[in-house]
Amino acid sequence: MTKKYDAIIIGAGVIGAPIAYELSKMGYQTMSVDKLPDAGEGSTAGSCAIVRAHYSTEDGVAFAYEGFKYWLDWENYLDHVKDERGLAKFMNTGSLLIKSQGHKWQNVKKHYDAVGVQYKEMTNEEILEMIPVLDLHEFWPVKRPEDPAFWEDPAKMLEGGLFCPEGGYVNDPALSAHNIMRAAEAKGATFMFNAEVVKIRSADGKVQGITLADGTEIDAPVVVNCAGPHSFKINQMASGVWEGCNIKTKALRHEVMYCPAPEEYDYLNKGYHQSDGDIGCYVRPEVGNMYLIGSEDPECDPQEWVDPDEFYAGKGGHGRDNQLSEEQWKAQCYRLGRRVPTLQVPNQPKGVVDLYDCSDDWIPVYDKSDLGGFYMAVGTSGNQYKNAPVVGRMMAELIDACEKGLDHDKEPFQYKMKYTGRTLDVGFFSRKREINYNSSFSVNG
Amino acid sequence: MNIYVCVKHVPDSAATITVEGKTGINEKITFLLNPYDEHAVTEAAKIKASSADTEVVAVCLGKAAAENTLRSAMAMGADRSILIETDQYHDSIFTARALAAAIRSDGRPWMVFTGKESIDSEGMQTQFRLAQHLGLSVATNVIKIDADSGGVTVECEREAGTIDVYCMAAPCVIGAGKGLNSPNYPTFPDIVKSRKKPVKRINLTELAIDPPAAGMQILELVPAVEQHTPKALTGSAADIAAQIVDILKNEAKVI
Repeated sequence: MTKKYDAIIIGAGVIGAPIAYELSKMGYQTMSVDKLPDAGEGSTAGSCAIVRAHYSTEDGVAFAYEGFKYWLDWENYLDHVKDERGLAKFMNTGSLLIKSQGHKWQNVKKHYDAVGVQYKEMTNEEILEMIPVLDLHEFWPVKRPEDPAFWEDPAKMLEGGLFCPEGGYVNDPALSAHNIMRAAEAKGATFMFNAEVVKIRSADGKVQGITLADGTEIDAPVVVNCAGPHSFKINQMASGVWEGCNIKTKALRHEVMYCPAPEEYDYLNKGYHQSDGDIGCYVRPEVGNMYLIGSEDPECDPQEWVDPDEFYAGKGGHGRDNQLSEEQWKAQCYRLGRRVPTLQVPNQPKGVVDLYDCSDDWIPVYDKSDLGGFYMAVGTSGNQYKNAPVVGRMMAELIDACEKGLDHDKEPFQYKMKYTGRTLDVGFFSRKREINYNSSFSVNG
Repeated sequence: MNIYVCVKHVPDSAATITVEGKTGINEKITFLLNPYDEHAVTEAAKIKASSADTEVVAVCLGKAAAENTLRSAMAMGADRSILIETDQYHDSIFTARALAAAIRSDGRPWMVFTGKESIDSEGMQTQFRLAQHLGLSVATNVIKIDADSGGVTVECEREAGTIDVYCMAAPCVIGAGKGLNSPNYPTFPDIVKSRKKPVKRINLTELAIDPPAAGMQILELVPAVEQHTPKALTGSAADIAAQIVDILKNEAKVI
């Protein structure tokens, strides 16, 4: 028998779960389906879960700063729900943006001022007092170890940084999605796992529901695509949706490394999140006094666009499958090794390889579609984890307004942020937009 | 005095190994310094730090790509290295002869280190064969070394909780075990230095090795079938802790 709901959410990661939660709070009977066995087990689990405010656009900064407030008030956000696995924890380390040619930090500073983000401008000396293990020479431009210029001695010094005390990271991203699932269930939401969508059914320009791989049919007048790296595949299943998007999404392979912090440095308890465009890396502490080293997608690094099903099945070969590659291990660890000269780099690569659901301009698509009732929260490009609770609320309000007759394409929905009080033009995230050249075209967003 | 450290260029244990042909693997994966050899290099560098006029020399029999592994060994403290180049697979019988010949042609050893085994073939024979060719005593799975001009005292782990102590005359061959030390991984400045350290390349034919009377050959490589049977432990934290202790004691038999 076909089951009926008010809304189906495809994907129970950190974007899908809060949409289910907020729609449930608004009275929608929701069904979340995910092909994996539990909430947050897909690319959410591979997220570095960084919570920082520096983005290339003012709206990006405002959105992220709004997100801070949710993470700082996690239990309240979840309405004090009990999760048998415990709650994810926001590690409020503070976040340092190194002033470099790799970041348009002057714009970030302007946006911080406009939005009211708390920050402190720091000199090199002040940074070294806080983080004595750093070498603050300028290494720009970012290079790979295969390039002989990588090994040249630097001559110039950096010019300090911007320190934002409210930033940090969430210690267990998969658990955070699980927490939101439990909060959503407490409001009546239903979740179904090991449930792979194979068809989006529609008629007369309206979505009708989904069909799962085992033949199960679920009907709803609203279907939301939050499928992460599989988002483009889901859009392609829905009549006219893929074709109606000016901004498309695809899956980008990414490697994140774990490297032990110098012995004399208690990075886990005393370290900060650091975004360092000068070496094309961002770092945060990880359990075991490790540096977690992510890449800021410098131009010299290859971009591997992959089929998500093949990738997760371990296919595609060296540099395209879900195995760390020696070249990238050396690139990311050696770059950080220049900044932290006492960092010891093991011979065996350790880390995580996962996928970004990346849009053409690295800015997400939070929008309706050309198919009535079909919505999407896609193209999160490795930089939307921190915004997820805000995305949940914004998408729920957008869906509700559209279902009540708003023509969002003509009159974009205006979302009022709860904490900052700012109004965000959701049209900024439109699928119909032209490529936003103000974007960093990187994980920085 | 020279300390020789025999190292092997092995596939990363975390890599996906794909068998190609009957006896080879797809080598487009990460190769690295055999993890047991990391302990050997670390210990050699430690001994050198407290002994004047000592040089640490890494020696490897392998393909040209094995230079990366020698660079790793030099970044971890070896002063220079020797690569005996070959394109072929060699068993431990032949490998030991090649390593012994390269060491003999290079200098006089004070100590010769190997890892207690390689993580690819896990033969655990090379150190014994090498010692026989060099006419030296040998100890393996060594977890502690005291070396001075009078000799070398080593502790060898036989099985969990049992340690043998040997006093050996130098020179001797030592198979490094995991418990010997924590590997001293290189910093960026160490890596920069290692790029300038010399690698002496020797063609295998130059060593004029007598062909051994016996040899071992790989007839076929068959991928092991991995079986993942995860089991969720439930109950209170105390219940789960008790179950873990039971598993470690009675199933894994490691405590």
